Amino acid sequence: MPKHNVAVVGIGQTKFRSKRRDVNIPEMIYEAVKMALDDAQMEPKDVDAILIGNMDHFEGINFSEMWCGIDAAPGYLKPVVKIATGGTTGSSLGICGYYNVASGIYKNILVVGWEKLNEGGATTGIITAFDPVWERPSLAGALGPLALMANIYAARYGITSEQAAKVTVKNRSNAANNPFAHIQMPDITLEDVMNSQMISYPLRLHDCCPQSEGACAVIYANEEETKKITDNPAWFKGVSTAHYYTFGCDDLMFDLPTAAIASKKIYKKLGIKDPVKDLDVAEIYEPTSWSELSWTESLGFCGKGEGGKLLDEGITQMTGELPVNPSGGVLSTNPIGATALVRFAEAAIQVMGRGGKRQIPDVETAMGMGFGGSLWTELAILGKDPKPLR
Amino acid sequence: MGKKEKEFQIKWKTDLPYRYSIGKLAVKYFEELKNKKIMGSKCPKCDKRYMPPRAVCANCFIEMTVEDMIEFSPKGTLVGFTVVNYPFIDPNTGGMRPFPYGYGIFKLDGADTYMMHFVDETDHTKFKIGQRVEAVFKEKTEGDIYDIPYFRLIKEEEE
Amino acid sequence: MDKEVAIVGCTQTKYEADKIDLTISELVFEVVKKLHNDLGITNDDVGCVISGSNDFNDGRTIANMAIQDAVGSVRKSESRVSGDGAFAYVYGAMRILSGEYDTVLVVSHSKCSEGDQFLINNSIFDPYYQRHLGLDQISSAGLMANMYMSKYGVSEEQAAKVVVKNRKNAINNPHAHLQKEVSMDEVLSSPMLAYPLKELDFPPYSDGAVAMLLTNKEKAKRFTNTPVWLKGYASCTDAYYLGHRTMTDLIGLEFAAKEAYKMAKIKDPVRDLDVAEVFEAFSTHELMIYEALDFCDKGEGGKFIDSGETNINGTIPVNPSGGVLSSNVAMANGLIRVAEITSQLMGAAEDHQIPNAKTGLAYGMNGICSQGNCVLIFGGE
Repeated sequence: MPKHNVAVVGIGQTKFRSKRRDVNIPEMIYEAVKMALDDAQMEPKDVDAILIGNMDHFEGINFSEMWCGIDAAPGYLKPVVKIATGGTTGSSLGICGYYNVASGIYKNILVVGWEKLNEGGATTGIITAFDPVWERPSLAGALGPLALMANIYAARYGITSEQAAKVTVKNRSNAANNPFAHIQMPDITLEDVMNSQMISYPLRLHDCCPQSEGACAVIYANEEETKKITDNPAWFKGVSTAHYYTFGCDDLMFDLPTAAIASKKIYKKLGIKDPVKDLDVAEIYEPTSWSELSWTESLGFCGKGEGGKLLDEGITQMTGELPVNPSGGVLSTNPIGATALVRFAEAAIQVMGRGGKRQIPDVETAMGMGFGGSLWTELAILGKDPKPLR
Repeated sequence: MGKKEKEFQIKWKTDLPYRYSIGKLAVKYFEELKNKKIMGSKCPKCDKRYMPPRAVCANCFIEMTVEDMIEFSPKGTLVGFTVVNYPFIDPNTGGMRPFPYGYGIFKLDGADTYMMHFVDETDHTKFKIGQRVEAVFKEKTEGDIYDIPYFRLIKEEEE
Repeated sequence: MDKEVAIVGCTQTKYEADKIDLTISELVFEVVKKLHNDLGITNDDVGCVISGSNDFNDGRTIANMAIQDAVGSVRKSESRVSGDGAFAYVYGAMRILSGEYDTVLVVSHSKCSEGDQFLINNSIFDPYYQRHLGLDQISSAGLMANMYMSKYGVSEEQAAKVVVKNRKNAINNPHAHLQKEVSMDEVLSSPMLAYPLKELDFPPYSDGAVAMLLTNKEKAKRFTNTPVWLKGYASCTDAYYLGHRTMTDLIGLEFAAKEAYKMAKIKDPVRDLDVAEVFEAFSTHELMIYEALDFCDKGEGGKFIDSGETNINGTIPVNPSGGVLSSNVAMANGLIRVAEITSQLMGAAEDHQIPNAKTGLAYGMNGICSQGNCVLIFGGE
């Protein structure tokens, strides 16, 4: 248990779309910030500090927090700090926010993740995340390596394209219940996915996440402040991070070893023995349909090679024992710097019981996941109280 | 450009140049690459053989030097593949990367780590996991990363 | 705050114009490995890692990816503050304060030699209204210095004194980049870069890295007999657009200093502090910092440097290390200030040691002309 317990007390998200030409960067971010402040019934002056992040090279803006922390969030004459770790940016912000309050330094904090991907080049930006000598000349953004991971995974466990396609069908059907989700294809069928264009074998267009524009803002508070704000917060039970080698090929990381490391750590800390029984819902960061199957294995939801079976048995469906991505997940919405924060926010929404049509009944405990960097995993488990399960 | 784009967007094109230091091991790597040799580094403590060579063994947290460099075979075994079939701006050149192209992950004989590179095959049905691959050198090597433009799939009968 | 977060060891590279033979990973490994050796620890003794860097500066998206092996974070938790290293220190301290980690490694690095500093700094300005003007940190500093100096009647000679002082101090700091004394005349006659600021009013660009280990009260004595404790912290951000700021005063720093002094129970900073290390981005900036830190009254920065109080033998020595004007490792500057205060309070600053230093202040900064401010007060045993 940390020195101070930390709760989510306010949430705001923009409606995610591929292009938001009607607004500039700070205007877009402000939409989410305003919604979160209203949600927590806070005035801008009530905010102690601001954490805000995106990836510099995606929009080509250096020190974006010095601009957006002031113009889009109430950061004037307050602390404004930027955290940026690639795909995990949102979860790294979410976890840094937790430590800002858990340490007792701040009573509350506004955490904001954003991206306006259509204004720059994500694939080009992602390539420059890799080593200029050894990796950049042949790298093809994130999808090339993700295709290789899917290919190895499929070959090792005999996973079929149909099984992967079912993930897309599940998540995009779920997205239809989420008013903020970007891709709205409520009637998508298995055939639609299977017949979509081959982007990078074995990944077809509908096996891949989109690029989205939007922002997510979440307000955290300590116990005393939380009491003043809401009687229905979502409490952090714990957070966990695992990083890995600098070079993505130093180990065969197709099954995301860091997801196993980070999840074992947090399950042990919280006394979680069987995540499928102990967790009520999970929002995971699946950049491709294949990765959801593989990540669910590494997170211990099922055995190795059983991700397809887990889905086929309906366990990860809305009505299953452990629904995965009721929001529609990353396959439906991917504003990179906000994506992992959306996972934490959606987990909190489920705990608060405010998910509307995407709400899973009686959620006590929910997990959010971030994925990024050179195959890093970050996790947060939220619940109706801040205590470990056992 | 449509009227709406003209009104609502500003185009910004900046060429942001860098010159990256590559380190002593990479200097040696490129020297030897000119002789069509592929060099990695071996941790003096745990013997892990790294490709590409680098100065730190992350597991032992000790330094590797040029003296710890060893030669690897230009041949290796494929563990995964894809065929990239989407357009993007290549930051290496500033222009569009031509596609489609084959792309493999494999382990060179003698190495403990994997590497990714282009493979001269764009039909995914022609690839097989476990298949042997080999580095193809330019006829006239220049000691830069493009001395190996791609790897080729070795047909079974060749082995 | 009393004895909750300790710094138990710091390491710095020598700062240089161009460490062309080292990759960023090798540069960082040098300070981390030295820290391990100095403290007699292994990577297993490190709970988690916080780094401070910037993607534009490194020419690399997710710049911290490049240093995972070098900071020993394989299978561990690492996170990266994008910006000045002082903020990375603060995040590291928060992890200790939360009670969830016993030890945190904080690292910051930069190789200014690898990028184009004008374009990198120009990219801080918004792409709609300001960037095309070609503003960067040098032209902004010219605007700020001009407004400050004309409002308060501060002279170019007074500004030049900051350079003379800091460059002289740097001679006794083995890590410093520029280790050559300069005279008033040399500063005043150096080429004009952005009126009223001349070439020598600005720092060089440097390559280097800095690392430190943080721990809690229970564990501190295991590592050293002279831990350095965090006593006060505050951060405050000024307006983004230069036109929205009071360019003649560092309002954000003023607010941050007041709060940090309150937390550290500092009533009279000149008397209560023994030493300060500040991120002075240009000569006049240090004079403005004196005022914002309440070392002197508003507009009195010039007179304060005249008084000699901020010299190495003055009542409140500022930048005994030679400061940023001698070693400018963008992104690491704030953490270097923390490391320098740590060595002062440990009594380990050797030739630039301030005798009996017990309480010190470190100031780190983000953005253009003191927009994002971080004030840290430390106390020795």
